Amino acid sequence: MLNIQARQEGNAAIVTIQGKVNFEVTAQLRDVIRDTVAQQQPKLLVINLEGVSFIDSSGLGLLVAARNSVDKSSGKLHLCGLPAQVKKTFDQTNLTNYFSIFTTEQDALRGT
Amino acid sequence: MSKGVVLVVDDEPPIRDILSFYLKRADYQVLVAENGLRGLEEMSKLQPDLIISDLRMPEMAGDDFCRQVKSDAATKDIYFMLVSALDGSMSKIGGLNIGADDMISKPFHAQEVMAKVDSAFRIIAMQKEIKRQNVILTEFQDRVNNEMELASRLQMGMLPVLPGVAPGIQYTHRYLPAEGIGGDIYAITPLPDGSTAMMIADVSGHGVTAALISSMVKTSFESQLRLSLDPLAWAVGMNQDLSRNTLAEQFATAFLAHLDPATGEMAYVVAGHPAPFKIPSGNPGAPGKPEQLSGMGFMLGIDAELSFTSQRTSFLVGDRLVLFTDGLEEVEREDRTYLGEEGLMTFCSDLPADAEQATMQLVNQVQTYNGPATFSDDVTLVVVDRVK
Repeated sequence: MLNIQARQEGNAAIVTIQGKVNFEVTAQLRDVIRDTVAQQQPKLLVINLEGVSFIDSSGLGLLVAARNSVDKSSGKLHLCGLPAQVKKTFDQTNLTNYFSIFTTEQDALRGT
Repeated sequence: MSKGVVLVVDDEPPIRDILSFYLKRADYQVLVAENGLRGLEEMSKLQPDLIISDLRMPEMAGDDFCRQVKSDAATKDIYFMLVSALDGSMSKIGGLNIGADDMISKPFHAQEVMAKVDSAFRIIAMQKEIKRQNVILTEFQDRVNNEMELASRLQMGMLPVLPGVAPGIQYTHRYLPAEGIGGDIYAITPLPDGSTAMMIADVSGHGVTAALISSMVKTSFESQLRLSLDPLAWAVGMNQDLSRNTLAEQFATAFLAHLDPATGEMAYVVAGHPAPFKIPSGNPGAPGKPEQLSGMGFMLGIDAELSFTSQRTSFLVGDRLVLFTDGLEEVEREDRTYLGEEGLMTFCSDLPADAEQATMQLVNQVQTYNGPATFSDDVTLVVVDRVK
């Protein structure tokens, strides 16, 4: 089960994801992220992964694509709340160095 | 052109005449028969779309007739209306239970029958359309299945031939795509200088797209081998190839290695892929503890500008290397405990010396762990034994 919520806070859009992010759910997640970027054109997109129990390569691909699309509109993508299992996947793929990663959502919003 | 063919079966000529008159006036083609048996004879000449049959008739009554029509595969889809006096001989429900599609009670108004006939023909038209579309769909599905099977065989053909032999190594594999074809690929290639190149990769996603990209990965790997003996250079080149030629979300995790059998030295790059396990030879009959190779790095195909790092390790005669894709470790037991690399490594600590038996045992152990579910991701396992 995947639960996705999107909300706006000032110039930032926040997408909160809960559950298992794998091939079966990427289409659903892709739509939410695309709509959020298209409708709000946020300066900052924060994706909160606090409730994510598992992410596979298609999920990672989605996040990479999200960063690229935000980059194109001169915005920024900040990730936050990576649980240990997800952090490990990011480390293994060196994506820790590809994304701006923050501990809490507040940190991600402040960008510090 | 008539709107359809209706068979009227009744032993009373006036009823046959009245129904025939109204049906013909409404542009239906009409067949008539005086009982079920005659009705079946008429049907053998021209199959009707709809039957209106009386219940009580000599020779073959309407209920028997209905059962016969509905039990024959060739006629069971004919819409059957049973006409019955509501005198206790057959309730409406009883008629529907023997397979009739509708009941008309006697005495009837011809207009009521005609309204029912028109409504029945709307259903018949719908059924015909569904059948027609089903035929198209089935044909399409058959074609897709055939093509998938062909593609699957083609993909299997891209894998090394077993039992695998290359300078300094012997190897075997298990390749289990989740959907007939998949995004996993591996290659082991002898190089002109007597060394050996190895690559295992997992393209994001499943199915046809992933399979197409996996063949691109293999081609890219092979073209890199002609340019250099350094896995770091292969990774950079393959990353550029994939970044340019795939869509945003498509990339591959990969492990690339170059083995020099003369020195036992192996240079390798871990590109977002689970690092393989090395099982040192240890003492005879008691292999050493499996250890995971170090190193991590970006997946191939995210961004052409990304850089990679290479590592070195020894791979000596008697050592074993277990290469795999994440489908083999990203499995869950029924209690939702996750196997993971640690769990898989535990399974690797007790493998038979024979590589073929070892791959079989390992896949079985993972399958049992994952059971009763089947693998939802592509699974590839390659067991490489270092030989003289």
